[in-house]
Amino acid sequence: MDFSIRAANLDDCKDIARMITVSRHVCACSRAHLEQDGFSKNPFFHGIIAEVPEQHRTKEGHTKIGYALYFYTYSSWKGRAVYMEDLYVMPEFRGKGIGKALMSKVAQLGLAAGCNQLDFTVLEWNKSSLDFYLSQGCFDVTADLGYHCMRCEGEALQHLAQP
Amino acid sequence: MNFKIRAAKKDDCKDISRMIMELATYGKMPDEVKISHKELERDGFSSNPFFQCLVAEVPEENKSKEGHTIVGYALYIHTYSTLKGPAVYMEDLYVMPDFRGQGIGKSLMSKVAQLGKEKQCMRLQFAVLDWNTPSLDFYVAKGAQDVTASEGWHFLRFDGEALDKLANEAED
Repeated sequence: MDFSIRAANLDDCKDIARMITVSRHVCACSRAHLEQDGFSKNPFFHGIIAEVPEQHRTKEGHTKIGYALYFYTYSSWKGRAVYMEDLYVMPEFRGKGIGKALMSKVAQLGLAAGCNQLDFTVLEWNKSSLDFYLSQGCFDVTADLGYHCMRCEGEALQHLAQP
Repeated sequence: MNFKIRAAKKDDCKDISRMIMELATYGKMPDEVKISHKELERDGFSSNPFFQCLVAEVPEENKSKEGHTIVGYALYIHTYSTLKGPAVYMEDLYVMPDFRGQGIGKSLMSKVAQLGKEKQCMRLQFAVLDWNTPSLDFYVAKGAQDVTASEGWHFLRFDGEALDKLANEAED
């Protein structure tokens, strides 16, 4: 199946919000927040969109059928890095190389920006995703090196932020 | 002991680089450090920096045996959570062993949280090695959750040849 991979623009936020809502099983993802956070002067993230031609659109009429969200980060050991926050392809479009193409694009852009690492997180029970990523050549930093993801939010973060 | 937490300056990069190596040695991976103060200067102090850094400084009379007054640092990045919006990732938090137990680590981390809060960050994330019980205990005492243990999150990484190969397969 024909598909194209390109940088996301402001008009794509509606579709990105739609796909986030479905993939993350949340009540609603705010399109306004995505527009503000991703397309202002100092964006927090960048997006890549996977699009199919009209003749392959979904039942509901969507041609934007996958996306990746990423931002630049840093390793104090290796230098510039890129973090892939989201990678998603609508279920009926999987198995066609679209996820791989999105991820490759993030890697290509990262390398062009001087990055030495592409990092992301996956839930350990998500075997199909884990298998997909490992088959592409990444390694499991948590399993292999013992790094645990730690998080501070809500009241704990408020408390910590007290001077 | 008197100490001050302040934003790092370009001139601090040699000290930060020194402490990065100390932290890597503690983490049993000193050979993994590939960047020097030069990359830190280039990447942290341009108009569009890749990271932010705070340092902890003590007065001259409290300097370390080797003569250092910069005795701790926190290196962090403004990141994004699709669900929560702006977030902060704390890449490193380190205090030289002789200066621990004085609240310096806590002050560095609090400052990161405070600066994040000013930018509406809803989440502070970082990583800890599973055998590093003193650090794990420190962070859990501050209200952090181990979401690898509780939710099953794993960090995955492409680097080296695997990253090159992945990038080469992208359509232009």
